[in-house]
Amino acid sequence: MTQSGDGGADKSEGLKLCRRRFLASVAVLAIPGAPALARSYSGIKPPFFPFGADPPRPINPAGWYFLKPNEVAMVEAIVDRFIPADHLSPGGKDAGCAVFIDRQLAGSYGASSRLYMKGPFMPGLATQGYQGELTPAGRYRLGLARLSDYIRAHYAGKEFAALSHAQQDDVLAGLESGKIELKLVPGFSARAFFELMLQNTMEGFFADPLYGGNRGMVAWKMIGFPGARYDYRDYVEKHNQPYPHGPVSIYGEHG
Amino acid sequence: MVGVAVMLAAPAFAAPDPARIEAGRYQAILADCIGCHTAPGGKAFAGGVLLDTPFGKLATPNITPDKATGLGNWSAADFRAAVKTGMAPGGRRLYPAMPYPAYARISDADLNDLWAYLQSLAPVRNPVNVNQLAFPFNIRGLMAGWNWLYFKTAAIQPQPGKSAAFSRGEYLVNGPGHCGACHTPKNLFGADTAAALTGSALQGWFAPDITAAPRRGIGGWHVSEVVTYLKTGHNSHAMATGPMAEVIENSTALMRDADLAAIATYLTALPGDGAAPAPLSAGDARMKEGALVYDSNCRGCHNSGGGGQSLIFPPLAANPVVQQQSADSLIRVVLAGTQSAQTARAPTAAAMPSFAWRLNDVEVAAVLTYIRNAWGNAAAPVSPDAVTKTRRSMPRH
Repeated sequence: MTQSGDGGADKSEGLKLCRRRFLASVAVLAIPGAPALARSYSGIKPPFFPFGADPPRPINPAGWYFLKPNEVAMVEAIVDRFIPADHLSPGGKDAGCAVFIDRQLAGSYGASSRLYMKGPFMPGLATQGYQGELTPAGRYRLGLARLSDYIRAHYAGKEFAALSHAQQDDVLAGLESGKIELKLVPGFSARAFFELMLQNTMEGFFADPLYGGNRGMVAWKMIGFPGARYDYRDYVEKHNQPYPHGPVSIYGEHG
Repeated sequence: MVGVAVMLAAPAFAAPDPARIEAGRYQAILADCIGCHTAPGGKAFAGGVLLDTPFGKLATPNITPDKATGLGNWSAADFRAAVKTGMAPGGRRLYPAMPYPAYARISDADLNDLWAYLQSLAPVRNPVNVNQLAFPFNIRGLMAGWNWLYFKTAAIQPQPGKSAAFSRGEYLVNGPGHCGACHTPKNLFGADTAAALTGSALQGWFAPDITAAPRRGIGGWHVSEVVTYLKTGHNSHAMATGPMAEVIENSTALMRDADLAAIATYLTALPGDGAAPAPLSAGDARMKEGALVYDSNCRGCHNSGGGGQSLIFPPLAANPVVQQQSADSLIRVVLAGTQSAQTARAPTAAAMPSFAWRLNDVEVAAVLTYIRNAWGNAAAPVSPDAVTKTRRSMPRH
C-alpha cells in the first residue's frame, strides 16, 4: 500500500481507496438494513393512483428512424429472404422485421448504450462475440454499404433488391458460408454481419408487436404461442389437448 | 362580588364531561362527519372538501371550534338548529348537501354530545369558501322553497311488530348514517325520490341498490355478511371501493357490532325490485368480443367463471355491483383502476390496475357487457359512447 511515483500506480491506489470506501459504506448500510426486512406496514395504506400505469411505449409505425432509403430497400429484401412468405406466414418484410431492425438501431440497442464502449478494444474469444468499437448501428451502416459495393461489382451494377430470389439467396449463402468476404473491420466478418442480421430478423419476427415486428402477431399464430397471458390454471391439467385461445399482445391485441 | 361572578360563570367554562365527549365522538362516527368535513391530507373536521353536486361545487365548512373560521362562536342551540333544520345562525340556510333532512332524526341529547365532542377539538384556522355554486343556486334563500317542497321530518316511529334491531337499523340508516344521501335516487331538484336506497349516481360513481333486491341489491347476503362488509370493507360477495371505501374506513368500520347488525337487519329486510332483464345471449357479438377481452385481461385475477379469489379479487358472478342499472362505477374502475377499503380487520387494501392504456372504448364496453351478462348475471349492455364520455370526463393525475 505504499505510494508510488508513477501515474499508473496512482490510479490503482485511487481504485483501492474507492473499493475500501465502498465496502465500508456497504457495511454501514447493511446494519440498519437488516431489521428493515421485518418492517411492518400496518396502518399505512399502500399507495394507489388512478390511471397509474407505466406501459411500454409502442414504436411509431410510420417512417424510418435509422436506415436510409437504399438501406431500407436492402434490409426489406434480406428479411424477406430470411423469412419468405409462404402458406405458414407472411414474409419478414410484411411482418415488420425491417421496421423492428430500424427502431432497434435507432434506439439503445443500436447505440450499445448498455455496454461499456470505451477502449481498449482487445480481440476476444470466438465465444465472446464482437468486441470492437462499432455499435450495432455502425456495423449495419458499414456492412450494408460494403455489401452494396460487392453486389454492384459482381451483378452488373444492380442493388440487392433488384436481384432475383435465386441470386439473393446465393449472396446470403455466400455471406453465411464465408465464401463472400466484405471489406469490413477486424473482428467483424461478412459471416458475423450475416448472423447479426439473421438474429435481429428472428427477434423482430417473434417479439411483441409493440416493437414493430410480428405485425398482427403472425409469428405467434404460426407457432401457436399464446402471447402475453399469465393464467393457465384452467388448462394446465388438460394434457395433449391444444390450447384453445389465440395470442394476446402486451397492448391487449387479441387474435 | 368578584367571587359571585366567578361562581356564576363557572358552569359555562366547566370542562365537559369526558363521557359526553366520548359519546359525541361515537355520534360523529355514526354520522360520518369526518367524511365530508376533512380534506385529504387536511386537519380533521377543518373542512375544505369540494363536493361536486349536480348544481355546482360546494366546499364543506370548517367545524372545529375556531372562532374566525370554524364554529367557535356557535352555541349548542345554534348547532342543533343547523344540523336538524339546515338553518345556521343569522338565518343563513345550509344546502342539503349537508344531510339535515336525515340528521333531523337525531335526538337533541345525541346532538349535544356531538357538540361537546366537536367543542373538545383543537381549533383549526382554515377559511373555506363554501358557496362556489353558480347563479341561481348560489342564493341560499332558495333553500327555503326547497325545504317547503322536500324537507319532511317525521320522527321515526318504531314500526309495530319489528325487532329492536330493525328499528335501530332503520334509525341508523335513515338518520345519522344518511345512507340515502348517496344510495337513494334524486329528483331534478336533488331531493330523495320514493325509491329509497335503490341506487343513485354520484360524483362519477354509481352508489348501488342496497335493498334486499335479489339481483341488484343485497338480497343474497346473510345479515352476518353485511356486517362483515361494513366492518372490514370486504366479504365473499364484494369489496368496497370508491366513496364507499371512505365511508367504511371513516365510519362503519368504527361502529359497534350491535349497530352494524342493526343496519344489516334493516337493509336485508327492505323489499327490493326482483325484476331482471333477460341476459344477452352468449352468441351476441358484444358478448363474444367481451369474452375475448375478459379472457386476456381479467381472468387472471377474477378467474374463469367470474368467481374471483376470496377477499383479494372480488367475484363478478352474482356481484350486485356488476348488475346495477348504471355501469358508471364499472367503467370508472376498468379505466382508472381502484383500491379497496383498508380496515383494521382487512388491511391489505388490494388494488385493481388501470386498463385505460390497454383497452379501447369498444373493448371496455364489450367486456363490461360481458361480465354483466355472463355466469347468471343480467344487466343492460354498456355502450362504447358511455365509456368515451367517462374517459373524457375523468381527470388524469
